[in-house]
Amino acid sequence: MPAITLDALTRRFGERTAVNALTVDVPQGGVVGLVGPNGSGKSTLLRMLLGLVRPTSGQATVLGHPISAPARYLGRVGALVESPAFVPGLSARANLLSLAHLRGLPARRVDEVLETVGLTGRQREPVKRFSLGMKQRLGIAAALLPDPDLLLLDEPTNGLDPAGIVEVRRLLRDLGSSGRTVLVSSHLLAEIEAACDSLVVIRFGDLVYDGPTAGLLARGTSHVDVLPEHEADTAALQAVLRAAGWDVAATPAGVRVEGPDGVDGAAVNRAAAAGGVVLRSIVATRDSLEHVFLALTGSSDGELAAARTQAAPTTTPAPRSRR
Amino acid sequence: MMLVDEVRSEFTRSRRRGVLIGWLGLTAVFAALVGTLLPGIVADGPGGPATGPGVSFPSLTQLQGSDGLTAGLSTGAAMFGVITLAFWAVLTASDHSTGLIRLLASAQPRRWRLLVGKVLALTVWTAVATVVALVVTLGIAPAAASSAGVDTSAWSSATPGAVVTAAGDLFLTLLVWGVIGLVLATLTRSAAIAVSVGAGYVLVVEGVLSSALGSLGDHLPGATLTALAAGGTATVTHATALLSGAAYVVVGLGAALVVLTRRDITD
Repeated sequence: MPAITLDALTRRFGERTAVNALTVDVPQGGVVGLVGPNGSGKSTLLRMLLGLVRPTSGQATVLGHPISAPARYLGRVGALVESPAFVPGLSARANLLSLAHLRGLPARRVDEVLETVGLTGRQREPVKRFSLGMKQRLGIAAALLPDPDLLLLDEPTNGLDPAGIVEVRRLLRDLGSSGRTVLVSSHLLAEIEAACDSLVVIRFGDLVYDGPTAGLLARGTSHVDVLPEHEADTAALQAVLRAAGWDVAATPAGVRVEGPDGVDGAAVNRAAAAGGVVLRSIVATRDSLEHVFLALTGSSDGELAAARTQAAPTTTPAPRSRR
Repeated sequence: MMLVDEVRSEFTRSRRRGVLIGWLGLTAVFAALVGTLLPGIVADGPGGPATGPGVSFPSLTQLQGSDGLTAGLSTGAAMFGVITLAFWAVLTASDHSTGLIRLLASAQPRRWRLLVGKVLALTVWTAVATVVALVVTLGIAPAAASSAGVDTSAWSSATPGAVVTAAGDLFLTLLVWGVIGLVLATLTRSAAIAVSVGAGYVLVVEGVLSSALGSLGDHLPGATLTALAAGGTATVTHATALLSGAAYVVVGLGAALVVLTRRDITD
């Protein structure tokens, strides 16, 4: 049973469609990334899954229960939606204690999650004195309170220093590999690429991609830059590589080799050797997730682009990729 | 049905030093102010001071009677009420302004339980504030009356039951004030709007409406609150005030419940 199923889930706010007929299954276990430009509907989707916002149409289930009955599943769900929200004048511990009381959890659970996020030493301080990163840690702690089967995290590394980002990435991985399901929304594509097994990409409320992270990366291009040992061999090298079926172009860095299905550096090396050309260097480069993402969703800020195309008809959702 | 978890959670959130010092401190200050000034104001002239919106002074005869010891409670009821309205509004609206409502509604998706838990917890704090007002009033009244030359010989015959009744009337009055604050804050998600509309209506606008509505004005919120605090007035009996107050609470909380449970949480 998937952890989350969406079936033509839609949410409109007046004339604006924030989420447009999303149909996605999020499998149980593992870390799934939810990515999209600003204003693409990520937070609205998370709010609908938490029962905070009602959908305009369509259905969804979380842990096997409809989102119209959040009381049936929210006891097993932890969430951090947008910026962490706490009572500024209360200590970190008191804030978590009030949430623990609400969930019927013992006080020792507060101690456990504070230790998990590294805030034990600061638990008595009022939250208003916390930095953004510390508030973020506290938000993650609040999400972990119910020892959830499903975690919904919106920008969990926002404001964290590099060490904190690594810690959160490790935490997400640990949670995912322990059988829990983590749905993490982030703009930090490098973090998404490092932490997530699969991705859901949305743009202006439409589903653009749903599948393994590797599958999306494969859509990007890779190329290999090679240098012959002797400059005089450059023309011969180009001829050999073209004959092998690759696209070849001269660049200041040497010879760039590209192909429709990517380029394997070892294959280039073998082809050059078979053609009698000795290579001095081989540098393989693959498009980053960021490059692929921007190609998929557009290079403009999502909300600005939406404002410019406000009268444009709703785009037809892209066909789902097979897992 | 037990709402212990929700009440405990609200107690933890509301038990902030600034909030408690502000609420209880202001209540104590106003109780001291009213207690100190009341005997002198009442004793100043045979006609007694004019009453105004939210203000109801006893006569000199009433002040010298056995109930005079606690007269400051009903006189200052509107002041205490505005304080209570303000803090109920702040503790309600801040859930929305901070975005905390997202966490609360995720932890407890049955939002009616959040509302009822908040009402119960704030009712307890209101009872504490009532006790503070009572203690300060009882402490100051004898000295202030003596200083103003008011005869307090009848005060020694005041029964504990009468004192408890006066405190009870104040508590019920503050409860209605508080619910008004909570309802307005739930509807507007703004403490500032809730306080200004709530206090402004009761203390100012209703006076205008009463003039236009005649006897119907006796059932408006402000008149109800005044009668409740005083244990009844010449035009509104205590029983009528209790019924009207209860009706306002029920209707108000009903409206708050509908809004809270139906509204999308986009805070």
